Amino acid sequence: MRLEMGTFPVHEVRFAGRTQWHDGVLEIERDALIDLVLRDPRIATAEVEIARPGESVRIWPVRDVIEPRIKVEGPGIVYPGICGRPITTVGQGCTHRLAGVGVTEVSGVNWHEAGGDYVEVYLDMSGPWAEMIPMSALWHVCVVVEPDPALGSEAQNDAVHQAALTVSDHLAATVRDLQAPQGEIFQLRPVDPALPRVVYIQCIHSPQAMSGSLHTFCTTTYGLTQLTPPWFFHPNEILDGAITGPYRTPFAMSWTVANNPVLLDLYRRHGVDWNFLGVIALRTEWTTQHEKQLMANQTAKLAQMLGAQGALVTWDAGGNEFIEVIRTIQACERLGIKTVFLTSEDDATGGAPTMLEPLPEADAIVSTGFFKTRTLEVPELPPVARVIGHPTKPIGPLRDQLAPTAGPLPPPPRYDDHYGFNRLSCAEF
Amino acid sequence: MTKEIERLGIPTAQISAIYEFAMTTGANRVVRGCRIEHVCGDPELGAEKDYAFGMRIVRTALAALQTAVDGPTLFDPAEMLEA
Repeated sequence: MRLEMGTFPVHEVRFAGRTQWHDGVLEIERDALIDLVLRDPRIATAEVEIARPGESVRIWPVRDVIEPRIKVEGPGIVYPGICGRPITTVGQGCTHRLAGVGVTEVSGVNWHEAGGDYVEVYLDMSGPWAEMIPMSALWHVCVVVEPDPALGSEAQNDAVHQAALTVSDHLAATVRDLQAPQGEIFQLRPVDPALPRVVYIQCIHSPQAMSGSLHTFCTTTYGLTQLTPPWFFHPNEILDGAITGPYRTPFAMSWTVANNPVLLDLYRRHGVDWNFLGVIALRTEWTTQHEKQLMANQTAKLAQMLGAQGALVTWDAGGNEFIEVIRTIQACERLGIKTVFLTSEDDATGGAPTMLEPLPEADAIVSTGFFKTRTLEVPELPPVARVIGHPTKPIGPLRDQLAPTAGPLPPPPRYDDHYGFNRLSCAEF
Repeated sequence: MTKEIERLGIPTAQISAIYEFAMTTGANRVVRGCRIEHVCGDPELGAEKDYAFGMRIVRTALAALQTAVDGPTLFDPAEMLEA
């Protein structure tokens, strides 16, 4: 499976009389884009706004950020399966991407109505929060969209993500027929058999147990979010968006999964430092001991059958999902597969471990920091000159107070850098 | 919480759907619950059988409290005869 990825850098985004990319400038015909989104009868209101890196602007509520990509050659379409898109296997031929820009899904639609799980992410384009979030370095084309309130919860989720994808597809189409300024070939060539064989185990939250939803929100695999046995992906499939979707932390949104540094580094060092076998994607938040252990056992067995000698494990959630993640590491180690775990940590209040179930087999852990902004002592975030999206934001432990989004505002509660994007450092004492 | 209560000398049984995790974290009397969504019952059984199933879990927990243990021990309601 060979994929050529053509990159079109974007240094500026501005509104203009037509939508086009030239020499790093992305021009957008605003009204045409809004009309395109409003063609979907499920959408009640739509606006398009631009946010510039470094600008004093806050975007709220942010459900997703999508990197515009498009298939130029080869089967299928990017971001397959989600919102009813074709599920043809992707990863071959040629794909173009707009780098340095994100299509940002801004909407008050909540994930589900089961409670306790709210859209809480906002993005600042300058200030301390911007310095902590990789997407704050992007230009944002914000699709501010609300669905027909008569729609059910799942239909609302589907409609607003479809709106963002429509804009992403439209922007990416501007570079479909152009010569890419930068290109990279992604291919798992046969390599020196002496190199260690390494698999990437990417654990992905499933919202099924808590919401009943099988596909409308959270990171999907070819459009599905349901609890499924482990998947095996060629990394090219992921580069074409086979793992994608809106999510409740900035570090697991579509943009971050598509630009996952773990995946890219494993891939770029294939044939140099190791033999990269591919990606096992494991769904998490199973709800019995047996199910959790079964997924761990099956994932480790699959890794062993692939010939893995080493595994790198990431996850994108918190809470009881840790059990199947840590037990996957345990199961791999017991089969002789050396396993490294990349994770954020809870605070260490009262001497409790910073991980839920610290098993002895998980003896090679790389920490990306604490996942609570409270533990990280992120300060109250300063006022901004402009707001994109909603003018007020619920705050407080019960979300029962409304504060002006323009601030000052408490930071979003969670940070969890699942894939090691950040540049935070620490001093040990 | 289970460990802290036991530290005060009060025997404690913990009903948990993720029972092995309860054991690795040091709970001494662990009772196997159903699922995270419904630890002490199973709505699929219908009201009458759900009640009986829940009772069996609770009775297992009460039996666990009356059993001396040396360390983390699992009590499985499925292995407990109907009272």
